[in-house]
Amino acid sequence: MYRYDEFDHQLVAERVEQFRGQVARRVAGEITEDAFKPLRLMNGVYLQLHAYMLRVAIPYGTLSSKQMRMLAHLARKYDRGYGHFTTRQNIQYNWPALDRIPDLLQELASVEMHAIQTSGNCIRNVTSDQYAGAIADEVEDPRIISEIIRQWSTFHPEFSYLPRKFKIAVTGHKNDRAAIKLHDIGIVIVKNAAGEIGYEVHVGGGQGRTPFIAKKMSDFVPAAQLLAYLEAVMRVYNMLGRRDNSYKARIKILVHETGEEEMRRLVDAEFAKIDASQMLTVPQEEIDRIAAYFAPPVLQELPATSASLDSARASDSAFDHWVTTNVVSHVKSGYGIVNISLKPIGGIPGDASDAQMDVIADLAEAYAQDEVRVTHEQNLVLPHVKLDDLKTVYDTLLAHGLATPNLGMISDTIACPGLDYCNLANARSIPLAQEISNRFADLDRQYDIGELKIKISGCINACGHHHVGHIGILGVDKKGTEFYQISLGGSADENASLGDITGRAFTEDDIVDAIENLVASYVDLRHNGERFIDTYRRVGMQPFKERLYAE
Amino acid sequence: MQSNRQLIKDGAMAENLWSYVEDDAALSDAASIISLQRLEDDADTLRSRNAPLGVILRASEKQGEDVRRLAPFLDMIQLVAIEFPVYRNGRGFSSARILREELKFDGEVRAMGEVLFDQWQPMARCGINAFEVDASISLDQFNQALGEFSQAYQPASDGRRGILWQRHGK
Repeated sequence: MYRYDEFDHQLVAERVEQFRGQVARRVAGEITEDAFKPLRLMNGVYLQLHAYMLRVAIPYGTLSSKQMRMLAHLARKYDRGYGHFTTRQNIQYNWPALDRIPDLLQELASVEMHAIQTSGNCIRNVTSDQYAGAIADEVEDPRIISEIIRQWSTFHPEFSYLPRKFKIAVTGHKNDRAAIKLHDIGIVIVKNAAGEIGYEVHVGGGQGRTPFIAKKMSDFVPAAQLLAYLEAVMRVYNMLGRRDNSYKARIKILVHETGEEEMRRLVDAEFAKIDASQMLTVPQEEIDRIAAYFAPPVLQELPATSASLDSARASDSAFDHWVTTNVVSHVKSGYGIVNISLKPIGGIPGDASDAQMDVIADLAEAYAQDEVRVTHEQNLVLPHVKLDDLKTVYDTLLAHGLATPNLGMISDTIACPGLDYCNLANARSIPLAQEISNRFADLDRQYDIGELKIKISGCINACGHHHVGHIGILGVDKKGTEFYQISLGGSADENASLGDITGRAFTEDDIVDAIENLVASYVDLRHNGERFIDTYRRVGMQPFKERLYAE
Repeated sequence: MQSNRQLIKDGAMAENLWSYVEDDAALSDAASIISLQRLEDDADTLRSRNAPLGVILRASEKQGEDVRRLAPFLDMIQLVAIEFPVYRNGRGFSSARILREELKFDGEVRAMGEVLFDQWQPMARCGINAFEVDASISLDQFNQALGEFSQAYQPASDGRRGILWQRHGK
């Protein structure tokens, strides 16, 4: 894991002091809420329906056990004993008091964390693959370049007041778990014919009220030139992005209105000018220094199978199910990648209590090389666990309500905070996720249905990623009543696609039955081995729609 | 410059010797800041004028004026004022860097409009060296804001190499 040096420490400490001054000026009434707003937003402090919310950055979703324990401590001391892991691999606290936030940030800084650029119209936390450094066939650990991007983008003097927020995601694997094509910039690490590392850069993806899949701007940006290329994209956006209408201000709209070809020409022209100065060519020594922090952990030489695991699986069918659904093959034989579902049946997606966070920190320290990852699907990962240790880890997780064997299943929903917290929402998301989870609680049924990603947004801003759900659900407000619109066929992976709306929206009372109806159609229509998304792509909307709206 | 404003230039209080001149007003021999359109339209006659000339880059509703339109006239002007219509509109940060780094303009680059406390330091990093700020701001406050961050990760127009480079003595 990356460790701060004196430079990193100093900047974060200075930021805490700066914010302390800003809060003091606000509390003393020297500045108005209006003037304070841009300042608090730069520090991840939102004003929600009932209280201030603080969003803490978890760069590329990687945490140490010490950091996880701090998150637990903060939940206890400054919040109501829980935190909420988000689709951007961050954590949110829903109830901190404004005047205590500087102290909270100071404690956070002691474990090399911050809330910098987790809101505001700036470059946000860089997100990445939760299996980085643990999965086979990775071109390069994406956290190396993600950390360089994190540093370059931190307090960037030119790009802190962009037309709108800006999100960058990186993957080093052909299977995209970071939804890079739904980001303002999505980066795929590739190797050219000469074996050199470079970056395929996609620009202009995004969700919100006008979703777009990103366009590929460059097939190969050489490693040394990536920052110059990113700065070129950012500058074209900052100069030409729309500022007259915040709904049209994201770079996806600029790319769409400018056209892919012209956008590429503009970026290339800017890139030529910026790169000529060589000012942004990162020294190889610095790349090596950062890469060293992400060197593969020293793991034991173990056989590919574990006798103790096999016998435990044979004698405990619940454990066996959990291994099947939640444990993924590790690059190193004898190890596995453990997914911890934060979607207990009937629970709130992404929430974890302080006690649960402590337990996960302990497990990471004892069994997972001291690392925890956060996934954009609002789950957690222990990246390097011996197969021999899986049963012990499972037993502990089970005892703390963390062993739900539903990864990728119908109850593993993404949901935004919705009307329970958010002042933008039209409808509640969390209670609906809970209802769906309860309706499909039976595990045998979930396994029969197989991979099915339901994503729920409480409004058109799409924080719950409904556009890319195999089944997407969007809360809409009609004459003061909550309605839910359904879309089918979305996907956030390397074959990214946007869902198609089925038609008329459903009431709160009907929506879960509608989901049931769609699942029943799928089960009738599927061919052997087809997932929901495969069946939908084969047969299209019509057969689903006919049954969904049949009288 | 508005009457409730004062000028801080190169880290010190400064007397404002410039005035903004509307397109339909005649130009005197005083130091004058004119519109980009007027500069382009009257470049030939302005070239023979014997008094300091400045230009303001206005921020329009949609995008704002393009700093690169100044390229043919840089030898005629001593000042570029960049308008920041609201604090959220950070387009001028890019305009300033392009002026300094690409167009190599070495005259005064002035920020005017709605500019907040915490924006002075990044503005300075982008090459802005003069600030029209509220008259209630003391020079101490200003300089404190300019020093809020002692280091920067990335290079910009202020000659710093950035932490990513400094770590290796570059």
